Amino acid sequence: MLYGLLLLPLLVFLGRRDKGALVRLSVLLPILSALLAPLLLGQMAGPFRLDGVGLFYLMLTDLLFALIALFARGYFSEEEAWRFYWAGGLFLGAAHGAYLAHNLGVLWIFVEGSTLASALLVYHKGGARALEATWKYLMLGSVGIALGLIGVILVYALLSGATLDWREARALVGSANPEGLKLAFALLLVGFGTKVGLFPLQAWLPDAHAEAPGPASALLSGTLLNVAFYALLRYTALMQAAGLFPFASGLLLAFGLLSLLAAGFFLYGQKEYKRLLAYSSMEHMGLAVFALGLGLPWLALFHTLAHSLAKTLAFLGASGILALSHAKEVGRVGGLFRSLPALGVPFVLALAALGGLPPFPLFFAEFKAVEAAMRYPLLAAWYLVGLGLAFAGLLGPMTQMGFGPGRPWKAQGLDLWALWLLLAVLFLLGVRPPVEVFQALEVVLWTR
Amino acid sequence: MEVVNTLVLAVLATGFLMVSRRSLDAVIRLYALQNVLLALVSFGLAKGELHFVLAGLALFVLKGVAIPWYLFWLLDRLEVSHEVEGYLSVSFSLLLAGLLIALAFRVGAVFVLPEAPLPQGVPVALSLVLLGMLSMVSRKKAISQVLGFLALENGVFLLALSESHGLPLFVELGVALDAFAAVFLAGVLIFRIKGEMGHVDTARMRALRG
Repeated sequence: MLYGLLLLPLLVFLGRRDKGALVRLSVLLPILSALLAPLLLGQMAGPFRLDGVGLFYLMLTDLLFALIALFARGYFSEEEAWRFYWAGGLFLGAAHGAYLAHNLGVLWIFVEGSTLASALLVYHKGGARALEATWKYLMLGSVGIALGLIGVILVYALLSGATLDWREARALVGSANPEGLKLAFALLLVGFGTKVGLFPLQAWLPDAHAEAPGPASALLSGTLLNVAFYALLRYTALMQAAGLFPFASGLLLAFGLLSLLAAGFFLYGQKEYKRLLAYSSMEHMGLAVFALGLGLPWLALFHTLAHSLAKTLAFLGASGILALSHAKEVGRVGGLFRSLPALGVPFVLALAALGGLPPFPLFFAEFKAVEAAMRYPLLAAWYLVGLGLAFAGLLGPMTQMGFGPGRPWKAQGLDLWALWLLLAVLFLLGVRPPVEVFQALEVVLWTR
Repeated sequence: MEVVNTLVLAVLATGFLMVSRRSLDAVIRLYALQNVLLALVSFGLAKGELHFVLAGLALFVLKGVAIPWYLFWLLDRLEVSHEVEGYLSVSFSLLLAGLLIALAFRVGAVFVLPEAPLPQGVPVALSLVLLGMLSMVSRKKAISQVLGFLALENGVFLLALSESHGLPLFVELGVALDAFAAVFLAGVLIFRIKGEMGHVDTARMRALRG
């Protein structure tokens, strides 16, 4: 059955190049697998096993994918739609593999697979800028992930070549050489950190997100970054089982904080709104890594959930704005709140959510992180500086695009209700964060 | 063990020569030779274990034959000069290569784990990784960056052999398949770059900033 779940997304190819069939399959298959997956919890087959944390990310990815696929129906024309849905199907298959894998080597293979499939998403229909972005992404992503593979090899060697299955690895890792494990973890953090978009390895991220077509940007930011983050979660849990969490924590805190501060600077004065959103992804992945470094995996999981929802909403909104206005720059779009509330209201509120304003869930997550960071006042102070910078960077574009001067737009041919659905979920999550669910997931991650 | 040692040194020599040659054809041939040598190292370590023989065979077929053949075909079809264009002069890149190899042998000891079956392979593997990175950052042509990545990837393969008798076979095959897909995708992109811009010079691709 697990193999069925793994291969389900590939059935999208049955739609051939027919747009209508592709849309139906790309919406129904992920929904089907999101319904099927909970029934398979705890099952195993070969190197695959589905546990709570994997299930959480699998369902999140599936549901967001279905929503994005539905929105993309109005975005792509008849002729170019198949490229998006085919590459999307490949990507979803790779993501399924990564979340189902229960073996550190297989996890690596599917993370790399997701890189390749998403390179196709970035490239989409070409042009010099898209080619440059795709090339940069492919080269940087491949080198990063190759360094990660060195880490995997070292872990395997440290376990005396006994196993890569992580339930067995967790039991054995306590007797492994700690110095070797530290080296391996540093390499793994650099490798998967490149794909998460941590500073200073983020160079590919803004280009890829800005040049990909809108729905593809939403997929990259809302789902792809989580795949690599999930790998980091698993390795951090392995370090914790080896009793080396303090070492891992130091590295995670440093990388997370640096990414936050760097993203804050890049956000400030960014002229194109899609690049702005890309740097905001870098900020939030940095925050999630920071939360993990604080020893609060539940908060890191919650942060990635909130970020995925808000960023999918923001990128779908941005792709709607781009399709209607044909303007990439913040300064050429204005007055959305008034003239086109169906699109403008959710988009502006998504920016507010990403800026960490209440009542949205990212506010809650950042508040909890500051609270925990108070143990080290200096760390908390820098964290607040970074949040302030990032908020200031988002505030200008938010007011300009929402309320600034600009000519009125008319919405045509786009399904905007997906945006409102995401906004509603985001709001509910912020008003009543299901902390106990995430704490239960933390137990799964930390102990099994 | 004597034979394996010689082979490992020969692998290092091919890595060094790949940095120094100025013709892409020669670099691709050296890459193919490097894979044949690595496959032989894998056979040499086998001692009757089927795992090594299969991994070596897959390496030979996929990377010793298929990828070089694909790269030659790509180079033919692209109609660009076969010269490796770089930011650095030959003598300077050789000097850097020498320094990187020295560095790899100096820090290699940190990476050697107890129980490593081929400890002398570890610094050579690190050298290949560093030389591959050097090729990737110092070369302008998109295709020579791909060759740099492939050399780096070979370093990782040798590291797996030296540290722990290689990864489990299904992981090893998956990794090789990923590398092959990456190279194939890179080839398609290079064609598009040539078609779109009329050159394959990554130094001139700088529209995206900030």
